[in-house]
Amino acid sequence: MDRGRVLVYATAAVIVGVTVLSGPAIGLVDLTTPRYDMSGLGEGNATVDEVELPSSVAIDRGYQSQSYYLTVPDARIHLAAIDGKPTVAYGIDIPALGYSRSTTHFLSDGDTGWASLSLREDTLADDAVDADGYDGTLSLVLRDSGGKTVIANRTVPVEVNE
Amino acid sequence: MSTGRAESVASRDVRERVGTARTILVRAVVGDRLGLVVFLGTLLAAGVTWRVGVFITDNYTLANALVALADGSLVVDEAVYGTLEAPGMNVHDGRLYGRNYGQVAFAVPLLWGLRAVTAVADLGLVFAAAWSLLLLAFAVQVGRITGRESICATAGAGLALASFAASAALAEPIPPRLLPLAALQLGTVLATALVATMVYRLLARVHDRRVGVTAAVASVFTTPVGFWAAIPKRHVTVTTLLVGVIYAFYRSRSADESADGPVPLLSPVGFRALAYALVGLYTWAHAGEAFAVFLALVAVDLPTAPSNDRRTLAVVGVAFGASLVPFFATNVAISGDPVRPPRMLSEFAVSTDGGAFGGAGGSGGGGNGGATSDGSPPLLPAPVRTLVTTVADRSGLIFGPFVAGAKSAVSDPESLYRTFVRAGYDGYIGARDNDQAINLSVLESAPVLAGVAALVATGGRRATAAVRRPDASVVGARLRRSVRTVRTSPTAATDAFVALVAVLFTLIYIPRLPLFAQVTVRYLLPVYVLAAYALARQSWLRRVLADHGRAALWSYLAGVLLGAQLIFVVVTAGSFGRGGAFQLHAVVGLVVGAAFAVSAVGSALDERFDSVTAVTGGLAAALGTDLALLSAFVYFRYGPHVLPSTDWLADLLASA
Repeated sequence: MDRGRVLVYATAAVIVGVTVLSGPAIGLVDLTTPRYDMSGLGEGNATVDEVELPSSVAIDRGYQSQSYYLTVPDARIHLAAIDGKPTVAYGIDIPALGYSRSTTHFLSDGDTGWASLSLREDTLADDAVDADGYDGTLSLVLRDSGGKTVIANRTVPVEVNE
Repeated sequence: MSTGRAESVASRDVRERVGTARTILVRAVVGDRLGLVVFLGTLLAAGVTWRVGVFITDNYTLANALVALADGSLVVDEAVYGTLEAPGMNVHDGRLYGRNYGQVAFAVPLLWGLRAVTAVADLGLVFAAAWSLLLLAFAVQVGRITGRESICATAGAGLALASFAASAALAEPIPPRLLPLAALQLGTVLATALVATMVYRLLARVHDRRVGVTAAVASVFTTPVGFWAAIPKRHVTVTTLLVGVIYAFYRSRSADESADGPVPLLSPVGFRALAYALVGLYTWAHAGEAFAVFLALVAVDLPTAPSNDRRTLAVVGVAFGASLVPFFATNVAISGDPVRPPRMLSEFAVSTDGGAFGGAGGSGGGGNGGATSDGSPPLLPAPVRTLVTTVADRSGLIFGPFVAGAKSAVSDPESLYRTFVRAGYDGYIGARDNDQAINLSVLESAPVLAGVAALVATGGRRATAAVRRPDASVVGARLRRSVRTVRTSPTAATDAFVALVAVLFTLIYIPRLPLFAQVTVRYLLPVYVLAAYALARQSWLRRVLADHGRAALWSYLAGVLLGAQLIFVVVTAGSFGRGGAFQLHAVVGLVVGAAFAVSAVGSALDERFDSVTAVTGGLAAALGTDLALLSAFVYFRYGPHVLPSTDWLADLLASA
């Protein structure tokens, strides 16, 4: 047996071996753990000392499409101290459209400093948008052991670009 | 002493038999070692795009039907996935049935296999382990082909271990509930690999192995076949069957050329029977499409066969009849009528426009008896009249879809244009997608097929050459000569078959297209592969690949590695959304496709254009791959990737 062949068989043995050893029949180790441990979410404490919210939000006509896309720029928060796994929800309300949406971000121990919070882009149908602009409200809500705290709230113009 | 010796002789005998069986299996499934490499490579690439999950609601029907079938029942009475009120769920006598049972049945053994494997391995890791082992096997086979066994084995071992380690570090649990869905998907992924392998085998025989490999890669990864590889719809499965029919058809005409190769596994008659048997199996997946393939096969096969003696036809007929047994048996078990597949039953909970073939909602083959037309004077005796009207009715039913397709193509050229060239925004379709334009045309989804335009140039060139030749005055003689070519040349006969299938297949669906939820005109998926075959048969393209192969390859790689990133950046930075992103692919695809078409016409006329054609062709091909890649990673997120590392990458891209 030459070196290459030995390597091939050894590699196959390692892959099969690890898979079987970590499998349900033997269960020596559990390799399939959720990447984000959901336990204890929203518990702990965070001190936010600075917040930056975008000054405007855009609804753009889709490229070669009849639909509109709502794009909300990222918000930024500065975390002075953090402990446990508090969460921050970044949300937008556009009352005239009956539209409300938020994205929850998980923070974890040691995430101090500036953190960027995004809000996923969304699609709006053609007939949903009929004005040139709206008023929207951006909000950041911190959830920790002390309950929910609104750490920022701001009314921004929502510009519709055809 | 003597018993020990006898044992060793016996064990050697067993080993030899296993070796022979393995050789036969490899030859039957993938042809040769390079075919095996194509097969493994396609599996690896499809594995990268594979997400376990439901892409469109139609998937619910097949997945629930598979769960029922694995429990031994055709009746679907539980919605393990989603809802029973999904498109394609059919009702008969108050009981619910799925459809495409051929595809569902193929997934049953795969489900058993997956269940057995997941008894000892974690579902979240098992695909990653299999992928790494396939990568190892791929490297070993590449090493044997290139004669660099040691270095390839070492590199393969390193890469396999690294990919497995990365997967093990990032693996997340996959709910065992998804196992049947994964089995269906495994079926289509295997079918994708078989499409590539069959195309390779066919074109390696018609031309050479380089053309074979290029065509295999092109037909799967530069067309939407790659997009649909891991999505449990019928399209890839039927494409595999169709390419199998074409391959068997070709082999039934060309058996005696392999003088130095091994003895063929089947005789020409055997391959001819195989072609019909595959059509028979096709009916089990989709009877309407299979019928179009059958018509084309009969129309080209009977006039061009080396012999139509009684014995040959008996063999072919028996094989075809046997292959129809699963189809008939399933239909009898469901509706009691052997020629009434589930698609011809009434749909459950969805309006009837979802049925696929010829609007055959209520007018299936159920014997309503002789419906004589009243009003006309009875010229013929009653039994003959009944016979005539039945034949007329039935042939109307049989040819109706093609006639309707032809009529629709003539009367509604705009739909044809929107299906093949520029789909754009359609209010009817857009209303279902938040007014986005997500559905692409054939050219927009596979810009490389624009090269087929050069057929016009080659055809024109041939026509002028024919006119200039002195004996051109005798048109009849020329016509007779070309008919003789089709009859004597296996390649010409195969070309004729492919062309006829492509036309009939397209005609079936033309009246219903453009349609929502197609994304890449998925109904015509087999036609993409037929078009790739047509491209590979062009002598100018083979010349370009032979003389400027390197330029084509580098343009393709640049188009994939840099192009995909560029598109991703534009889509993300420009906040294009899914609809805008698809339109970006469409517009870029059409521009590059047009450039390729122009230079292809140039190359067909003059070889000075070849270097340009290599570059435009490589880029056009790359755009097809980009669409499949970005769809799998960015545009559609509907479940965990089977590979934890690609899942992690997709998550990373999502947060960008």
